[in-house]
Amino acid sequence: MTEQMTRIAVITALAEKTPQLGRTSLMKLCYFLQVLRSVPLGYRFSLYSYGPFDSDVLADLDSATALGGVSSSLVSYFHTYGYKIEPGPKAQYIQARSSKFLDAHRAAIDWVVDKFGSMSASELELKSTLIYCDREAKAKKERISLSELCSRVHDVKPHFTIDQIRLAAEELIQQDVLFTKI
Amino acid sequence: MHGFVRLNDWEMAIVSEPAFQRLRRIKQLAWTDYIYPGAVHTRFEHSLGVMHTATMLYDAIVRNSKDILTTELAYDDTGIQRYRQLVRLAALTHDVGHAPFSHAAEDLFPINEDTQDLYRHEDYSAAIVKSCLRSAIEDHPLANNYGFTAEDVAALIEGTARAKQGLFWRDIISGQMDADRMDYLLRDSHHTGVQYGRFDLDRVIDTMQATPALPERPPRLGISEGGWHAAEALVIARYFMFTQVYFHKTRVAYDIHLKGALKQILPGGVFPKPREQELKDFLSWDDWRVLGELSAGRGGEHGERLRTRNHFRRIYATNEICNEGDLSELDRVKNELGGLIIAEESAAKSWYKTGTPDIAVVQEESGRIRPLSQYSNVIANLRSNNQVLLYVKPEHVAAGRKSVEEAVKKHD
Repeated sequence: MTEQMTRIAVITALAEKTPQLGRTSLMKLCYFLQVLRSVPLGYRFSLYSYGPFDSDVLADLDSATALGGVSSSLVSYFHTYGYKIEPGPKAQYIQARSSKFLDAHRAAIDWVVDKFGSMSASELELKSTLIYCDREAKAKKERISLSELCSRVHDVKPHFTIDQIRLAAEELIQQDVLFTKI
Repeated sequence: MHGFVRLNDWEMAIVSEPAFQRLRRIKQLAWTDYIYPGAVHTRFEHSLGVMHTATMLYDAIVRNSKDILTTELAYDDTGIQRYRQLVRLAALTHDVGHAPFSHAAEDLFPINEDTQDLYRHEDYSAAIVKSCLRSAIEDHPLANNYGFTAEDVAALIEGTARAKQGLFWRDIISGQMDADRMDYLLRDSHHTGVQYGRFDLDRVIDTMQATPALPERPPRLGISEGGWHAAEALVIARYFMFTQVYFHKTRVAYDIHLKGALKQILPGGVFPKPREQELKDFLSWDDWRVLGELSAGRGGEHGERLRTRNHFRRIYATNEICNEGDLSELDRVKNELGGLIIAEESAAKSWYKTGTPDIAVVQEESGRIRPLSQYSNVIANLRSNNQVLLYVKPEHVAAGRKSVEEAVKKHD
């Protein structure tokens, strides 16, 4: 419970700081926190066609909702749907229980929200996939060019054009979060 | 479970490999047979069942969504046949990396320096596919028809960029409505003798489809509107199986003892790493070897408790869905019990834990996508089980009960 309470506190903090938090954005912000800012959340992300994913994030969101740390509501669009995650009535209580952890990682949470918090779900899927493929190449000790990275991401997400992927990759390089360089 | 499970010569060759045959010696549910005596089934038959179920799911999705696969993912008939075989091999081999007694011992996997987290059984499965099973996958004559390698099979298991557009199919290997879950719920239910895990598999399979592509939203796996009750039953089956079998208090106690015993039995207290030079050693660990070690008197106090069926006792459990009051009571109970607590186990850490799945339901005429929770009031109100169990030694049960009573009374 202790570890989960910490993760729930982080989810609650993200709900408080991110203007339009949905399930996809929550998933990707947790991924960025863990991978780009080394916040030890203990998630195990792996790659799906919709980007890095770990079902534990959704399980923690559930528990955060049950505890009143966040409230989650369905948003219906004509063809599809999304979720709106907001701070719940017990948000302060949940965060107070893990205040030490949150204090230690507050700067990382602020950074992730600042850099990625206002992006659309689609943009977050693309950028998180770029980061995943970049980290994967590094773990395999592969030195790949930007074109190669974009090509790999295009193979996974062909509904983005190579130009769109390259633009997103260049933005990430400017933020100094990719190992691949121009 | 499924009637005849048919394998081609290529798959038979893989099944005949020692790394696959080892699964006959790894029980699916560890020490669960101490509670449900029939639960002695193994990863071997489960793996065959997952391959069979994944194939039925694949064929249904192709049947129901061929236009989407053709237009959005550019599949032709050759591509469809190729991915079908790739999915079958990934499903067949997805569990070859299990440690003895399946998930119970996964906390004893070593640290992966790249992620600073423990290795997962999928890491072992992928490594075994790329080494021990490589020749069986790549050198069989039937492999010439498909042009994929052991790396391609491993990529679908692990979830890496190499899987490319094949990642679309990863959801039926490891996802919210995957073949693994469908098989283990029915199989575990059958072998334990409980009815909780049952659902209408045929209906779920028959209604699986790809969701229509939308701007900025590529196709995903979903279910047609006619199948939502069957999908609801699957989710509920998982919830009940968790509370009644997977997180059963005594089963959890035996997991604690297995972990404790293995910590003493394994050299250095951890399994070998999933690296080529250490895989042979890892594969030498199966249930038989561990039982031999236990039978020889090894495993310390935990080994003794496994031999004599004298497990730790659950002294306190929170509600299944904890609220603020439950957490406060847990704090008080832990404080009162103090050093009597010998183990604390959380449902949130269990491999089998349940979350509220986000299953897409496709309206039949309009093609609009809605979540299952909008159709099902039960699913809309289902929450993840985050129960916490506290354990004491059998000789401390009386003192423990008194402490728990004191702690609960303090609030009253």
